[in-house]
Amino acid sequence: MSEARPVPDRTVRIIQWAMAGVAVLFIGGIITWISHLIRTAWRLKDVPSASIGISLVAIPVFLILLSVILYVFWGLLGDGDGREQSPPRPAARAGGDPHGEAG
Amino acid sequence: MAERTDNLDAPLLAPIERTGPGFYWSVGALSVLVLWGAVAYWSQFSEGLGVTGLHQPVSWGFYVTNFVFFIGISHAGTLISAILRLSKAEWRRPITRMAEVITVMVLFIGAGQILVDLGRPDRMLNVIRYGRYQSPLLWDATSISAYLTASIVYLYLPMIPDIAILRDRLAKRKLLYTVLALGWTGSERQQRVLNRAIAIMAVLVIPIAVSVHTVVSFVFSMTLQPMWHSTIFGPYFVVGAIFSGIAALIVAMIAFRRAYRLQGYLKPIHFRYLGQLLLVMSLLWFYFTFAEYLTGYYGSEPEEMKVFWAKFSGPFWPLFWGMALTNFVIPVLTLARLGRHTVGKVLIASLSVLVGMWLERFIIVVPTLSNPRLPFGEGIYGPTWVEWGEMAGSFALFALFYLLFTKLFPVISIWEIREGRDVGLREVEERLLTYLPETGEPPVATTERGH
Amino acid sequence: MALWGMVIDLDRCTGCQACVMACKAENNVPAVGAKEAARGRIISWMQVLTEEDEEHPGEKMRFLPRPCLQCDDPPCTKVCPVYATYRNPEGIVAQIYARCIGCRFCMAACPYNAKYFNWHRYQKDAPGQNPDVSIRPKGVVEKCTFCHHRLQKARDRALAEKRELLPGEYMPACAEACPARAIVFGDLSDPGSEVARLARSPRAFRLQEELGTKPKVVYLTEGEGRG
Repeated sequence: MSEARPVPDRTVRIIQWAMAGVAVLFIGGIITWISHLIRTAWRLKDVPSASIGISLVAIPVFLILLSVILYVFWGLLGDGDGREQSPPRPAARAGGDPHGEAG
Repeated sequence: MAERTDNLDAPLLAPIERTGPGFYWSVGALSVLVLWGAVAYWSQFSEGLGVTGLHQPVSWGFYVTNFVFFIGISHAGTLISAILRLSKAEWRRPITRMAEVITVMVLFIGAGQILVDLGRPDRMLNVIRYGRYQSPLLWDATSISAYLTASIVYLYLPMIPDIAILRDRLAKRKLLYTVLALGWTGSERQQRVLNRAIAIMAVLVIPIAVSVHTVVSFVFSMTLQPMWHSTIFGPYFVVGAIFSGIAALIVAMIAFRRAYRLQGYLKPIHFRYLGQLLLVMSLLWFYFTFAEYLTGYYGSEPEEMKVFWAKFSGPFWPLFWGMALTNFVIPVLTLARLGRHTVGKVLIASLSVLVGMWLERFIIVVPTLSNPRLPFGEGIYGPTWVEWGEMAGSFALFALFYLLFTKLFPVISIWEIREGRDVGLREVEERLLTYLPETGEPPVATTERGH
Repeated sequence: MALWGMVIDLDRCTGCQACVMACKAENNVPAVGAKEAARGRIISWMQVLTEEDEEHPGEKMRFLPRPCLQCDDPPCTKVCPVYATYRNPEGIVAQIYARCIGCRFCMAACPYNAKYFNWHRYQKDAPGQNPDVSIRPKGVVEKCTFCHHRLQKARDRALAEKRELLPGEYMPACAEACPARAIVFGDLSDPGSEVARLARSPRAFRLQEELGTKPKVVYLTEGEGRG
């Protein structure tokens, strides 16, 4: 359906990219936190091996999560931007019934 | 092609479009329980943990039990959704959404249990500022953060095409659905991106989930206490988690099948397969439990035997044998033959398992603490109204979150059902042909599958 | 660097619990009240454990004063998530009340049950308390610290008087109070000290030594004809 929606597109776009931003901040924050814990343990000489060992697994996992999130945002939003007005493809498009089925 | 099947899946959109009195009654009842929990917690927050039944030596009780129990249930989403998706099991389609929602909601509740258990919740940020990675609690914090992030992503990604349906069909909540649909148009490129991302997440979420319940078990097994310091705990807890997760999923499915009249989508065959999985997990759980207790008993180490007998014939015997009954006897009896009354039998088994797995967590936490090594008196633990209230409130809060989710988003994945109808049959047929020996005739499918 | 340790002679211990009372007075350990005590919440940094004497059942009891054993490989410090308990360079396992979040993991991990929890706010600042020891708020863990405040005071005094710390100048309240002089305290790393000498005695044993916690409270087993 390409009729004008009551929701302004720019607002939607901004919120969507803000969501991506939140993901970056959140996961970036976690990675920063883990590094902070490593540094603290190093400074206090309190079994730094535990911190380093865990971060070797945890940080790559979080980075992969962040990559997947950003990949999806880029893949979906980047595509939608240029194709706003193109006719919907029948395959997986769930267009509304013009007869306005309510149930 | 999809438009003409639009009306077929109207029952899936009905709960979002209309709200009946049953919903309001449920929300009301659940809110009362949540309120009880809130009052209980408020009294604890202002007076201290002394309002519970905890004491020296049993300084961990209901809250830690609930923590392990709720985190355990989170394995529902992973098993069903990720593993079945990776093994291309077609019967997963109506189930994945419900499973993934359970995981996300229950992780919040589970993490909340630990916060409730703290003597100084106002200092919870100390874990962030001064965390020590040698402590298993920090492994928990990291692992559960990873799992929560991964589950939210893994829930959200397959929701996007459904949200696009809501965006286009409904008049209400336009902003919410438009924003969350991420501009989904169903184009080739978007489908490719989404399918690839979902596939990556399905693979990633499994080791994260295994690590979560393993590190939860490490909270106990990394101490030196009798019947805690056991190498079996990691796998034991994971098996128990998957076990209780399937049970919780079945209960949720039956509840919403009834409430939203989804009998067309959640058919006896789905419950039959899940019931068989539940049976397998019950046997696996029994195997681990048997190995654990036989090892302790055969070794006869005095400290371990004190705890062993406390469970077997001492003060905890009703809970221990109740656990054996509800986790093994009842599920095996009810699930052995699932031909008739499938849904009923599976419901009984699942409710039984949920009770049994909670008892199992309790039986792990409390008897060991109750029997200290040095000659102190044996600690008797009697939970107070505060702990019961907190538990009731936690279950109710989980149910409330879940219920509210089903009002905003379809509880069965519409596009995956449609995908099953449109391409599922063909794909399965193609796959089947690749398993069978060559016949010399051209296959029914196209040539894209190489031989 | 000193290594503070303790030797408790079980032959001399009469079970009088003067050590318990002295500890409570010295360290502002709260009296939790009868109701809380009945619920199992007594806080007793030094606790005298009793066991029926197997060779004289019904006639004799055996007593074991149990302070915090100040392990050299403490299971409690390993599991603390926030650096609220740690082993300082002189061997004392310290407790930082201001950082403790009350998760009680250390309590679950200690094989000697030497840690106690403030289940309520058991006391406020009041006259008659020892001003050298802080009052613990609700929701935190506490335990015996070998009267570490006494060490600080003794060190300060020695510093002011420009001399070394003398042996016997720093002694926890329990060692000072014991009328049978069953508790001997000192520097285990000084081979000439009485504590080090007694710790090498053939009667010496450590509680649950097989766990590998390396406790620095050494017990001398009861005399002739005993186990």
